[in-house]
Formats: sequence, structure tokens, C-alpha cells
Amino acid sequence: MTSIEVTNLQKTFQTKRKAAGLSGSMRALIKPEYSLIEAVHNLSFRMEAGELLGFIGPNGAGKSTTIKMLTGILHPSGGEAKVLGFIPWKERQKLAYHIGTVFGQRPQLWYHLPAMDTFILFGKIYELDDKETKKRIEYLTEAFEIKDLLDVPVRKLSLGQRMRCEVAASLLHRPKLLLLDEPSIGLDVVAKQHIRDAIKRMNQEEGVGVLLTSHDAGDLEAMCRRVIVVNHGQIVYEDKVSNLKRKFLTTKLVEVRYAEEVSKDYAIDGVEILKVGHYGVKLKFDTTKTSVDSVMSHLSGAGDIVDITISDPPLEEVIAKIYQEANG
Amino acid sequence: MKELKFLIAIWNTNLQSAMEYRAAFLTQVIGMMANNFIYFAIWIIFFERFKDVRGWGVNDMYVTFGVLASSFGIVNLLFGNAFMLSDIIAKGRLDYYLSLPRPVLLHTIASRSAASGMGDFLYGFISYGLSGYFTWDGLARYVLATLLAATVFASFLILTQSLAFWFGMMTNFSNLVLNAMLTFGIYPITLFDSYAKLILFTLIPAALMGAIPAEFIRAFTWQVLGELLLGAIGFLSLAIFVFNRGLRRYESGSAIQIEV
Repeated sequence: MTSIEVTNLQKTFQTKRKAAGLSGSMRALIKPEYSLIEAVHNLSFRMEAGELLGFIGPNGAGKSTTIKMLTGILHPSGGEAKVLGFIPWKERQKLAYHIGTVFGQRPQLWYHLPAMDTFILFGKIYELDDKETKKRIEYLTEAFEIKDLLDVPVRKLSLGQRMRCEVAASLLHRPKLLLLDEPSIGLDVVAKQHIRDAIKRMNQEEGVGVLLTSHDAGDLEAMCRRVIVVNHGQIVYEDKVSNLKRKFLTTKLVEVRYAEEVSKDYAIDGVEILKVGHYGVKLKFDTTKTSVDSVMSHLSGAGDIVDITISDPPLEEVIAKIYQEANG
Repeated sequence: MKELKFLIAIWNTNLQSAMEYRAAFLTQVIGMMANNFIYFAIWIIFFERFKDVRGWGVNDMYVTFGVLASSFGIVNLLFGNAFMLSDIIAKGRLDYYLSLPRPVLLHTIASRSAASGMGDFLYGFISYGLSGYFTWDGLARYVLATLLAATVFASFLILTQSLAFWFGMMTNFSNLVLNAMLTFGIYPITLFDSYAKLILFTLIPAALMGAIPAEFIRAFTWQVLGELLLGAIGFLSLAIFVFNRGLRRYESGSAIQIEV
């Protein structure tokens, strides 16, 4: 069963242009100039019910604009879309009963009140019975490990704690589809993992479909089975995450800090050394050519490790690779 | 009925939020009442000197100022975001309301309560009580007139602030016309000629927030009730229409928002 069907979706914004400085402002006041920005350009894709779909791309790629059109927040400039059988911008209210949304940059919890108060308010907004709301809160409290957080005013929660409560609140009405726009933005590794685990659990236990936008490749690896990469409002890649990983997410960036000073001619076979400091080294390697195991044993053999960070390359780099491949 | 339950839930949450800061809540309520007393003292001094302005005395001012304060207060208390709508639209903060299954306009404007509104609302009743026109019948008419004047006032705010859909931030313009509405609302209507009166019923419907409700409170007539009802329904319909037309042009935004 299809949960999202998008055909040739388009969104164009009209933006005022102004030269820098006061004289530019004066000219714009007398004779304003506008330009059109095509945020989404003929986008077409499908998403099956219960699927975990990653919708990724760099900043300004059109991810959030697409999500906003799919929730009925924005009217498109052209094209068609159906979400759970509803046309979002025409049947926004009906659709909202069946979907949950989280915008990482836009909190929905009431800032001065404990999260529990927003949960209760959402129960009323979604017309849930009081008993049902209570039961559901208990379930989500356990799934998202937020029992001790519910009675604390939201303003006093950490960003990670708040995001767990935000996602839990968006699931209160048992939506069939969850649209997450950058849910992990600004979170540390542990907080990201908490959110990812809870979302995966909701997908397995309740069959909630998840459309996730992110510019963190880690979100994608951890949660999604299929991925759509967008850039400049267009799809540049669409495949299984396992294929994307195999083809493009092959580089790992490693930052190591040692207890003792590092030798200036620090080197490992098959590894590109990006920077050698007094106590730290930054390096990059291709997992298809050099095994993670061998790099790790070299690193630990070079001295006592105080700290280590292993990360994926920025998504911009992955997209550049995708482009390179497409252009031969 | 469904929307009333929802509104009660929102107001309940608003009140809880406002009462999180007890001192600020109480000082706003009491401070606003004191502010109104001080402002009205100027009119008392004025009417002590002139007694009557084309048949309009200090007692009429008590009623007019009372109904104006109460209707202003009720909008500020129950639909506080009507004052912030332009800012919410221009900064793309309607997203939150659009993602929930409720009428956007109602949900947006009801999602903020200013505690000072309670001070204005209560002050209005005191002003009416001091006017010398007080009767129990009159009190019932006062409540009805306040509700209708508040509807006109909220609609006027929605109309002017919704211009933000077309012209971007309209907060300053909206404040300008809001001040005009309140200033003309308190002036004795007998001062104005028929052209000015036409403006005060249409472009800046101050008469529907001050003089006409006050006339209805002093003595019941079907004609004045009809004028009030027509004004309230007309302006409300127009405000909803303009807001919904504007909503199609809504462009959201990417500003990071810290709180709801």
C-alpha cells in the first residue's frame, strides 16, 4: 500500500533582491526587484506504508519545503501529491489526524510548562479520550525513556531530552506516518542514538512509516532502508541505503587524541593523514581498500588513546561523489 | 461544540503557562487596572471643566471606556495572538498550527494569553458600575455588547495583521491602526460629522467598539443591537475570508524558533 505518492511536485518562491548597504535599501524601496527561486523542481517519488525512507540533501536542497507541502503547510506551485490518500493542501485537517510531524528547529512543546501539559493538550487537540491519552502517555514514556522528564518545565530540559519528548508527543495519536524534519539537528551522539532507537521501535511495534529529512548521513544509516538524495530541488539518487553505503559512504574520518606527544612522521599504510598536531591526528581512509580493524590496531599501537571520534564524511561530499558518478 | 472543547483546553493551558510566573501574572493584572484608572482620570478632569460635549457627559464616558476596556481585555486574554499575527505570519511561525488538525486561525489566535487582559476586562466592569447607568438588565447588555465589540476588535486585528501575507511584516502599521481604533473608540461620537462616522463604522470601526455598544448598554433598542450584530458578523466573515486567502500565499520560513 502506498502512503506517499508525489508527481512532478514544484515549489517556487518569489524573493526580494537588494544590493548591500543603505543605498541598496533606498533603491529597493523605490523600485523593488524580485527573483524566483525554484525550491522544488518536478519531484516525483513513492513511499510504501510502514517504510523507513530517508530524504536527504545539503542545506537548501528542498527537503523541508517538500515535507511542508506533504503536511499541507505550503501550497505547491505545481504538480500533485497524495499522502495517505489525502491531498495535503486541500485536506490538511483530515490528514493531520493520521500523521505526526516533528520539525527539529520548531518546538511544539509549550516552553514554560512541563511536557506532560502539552501531551494532555495534544490529547484534546486530537480528540482522544482522557483514559486513552493516559494509557498512550504511559506507553510512550516507556518507549522514549522520558518518565523523569515529563514533570520538568520544557525550558529546563536539555536539547536531547526535549527532542525525545517532541517525537513522543508527535506519536500520541497513533499516526500512520511520521514526518521528521531534521530531528537530530544539534544533538550529541548519545541523544541521537536515543531518538533513532525509539523511532525504530515505533516502526517495528506499530508499523509507523517514517519519512526522515536530515543532512546527517548517520541518521540514514541507523534508521532508513531506502534513501532519496535531493539537491537543488531535484532527486539526484534513489536506492537502498545498503547500496548507497557500499557505493558512496566508504570513507571514514577519524580524530584521535593521545596521552603522549605524536611523532611528526606519523603514517599508516592506505590511510590519508589530514593533520598531525602535538597530541592528536586527523585521518581519512576508504573502508573498501583498508579495513577498519587494521586502522584501529595501528592507531592503538601508536600510543595510549585518550579520545577518538569516527565520523562519516559530510553529506555534501557524498552528493559530490554521486554527481561525479552520474557525469562519468 | 467540538471547537469549544478545544478552545477551553487551549485557554486552560495558556492560563497554566501564564501562572508559571505568579508575580508577573499578578503585577500585570493589577498594573493594567491601575493604568486604566490613571488614564481615565484625565477624562474626569476634562468633564469637570466642560460638563457636556454635544450631549455627551462623564457618565457616558464611563460606559464607553468600560466596554472598550473589557472588549480589548477579553481579546488580549483569550485571543492574545491576534495582536502578534503579522509577526507569526512573516516569520513563518504558522507551521506549528498548520501541522495540527484544528482551524488554523482559531488555534493561532487562541494560543496566547496576556495576563494584562484580565486587568482590562475587570476594569471595564468597575467603570460600568461607577457610571450611574448600572442596572441588572444593563449588566446583561454590557456582557453581550462586550462580546460583540470584542468580535469586531479581534476581526479588525486579524484583517490588518493578515496583510502580512501580501506585504510581509505589518506590525508597525497594525499598531498604528490599532491605536487609531482605541483613540477614536473612546472619543464622544457626537463630535463627528456623518463622513467621519462612516469611517468609524467601516475603515476603522471604532464606533462598533465604543460608542455603539455603550448606547446599547444604556438602553436597549433592536436597531442598535442589529447594528452591533451586523458589524460583528460582517467583520468576522471578512477577517476569516482575508486570512484564508492569505494562507494560500503563506511561505513558511527557516528561522530557528526557540519556544512556542
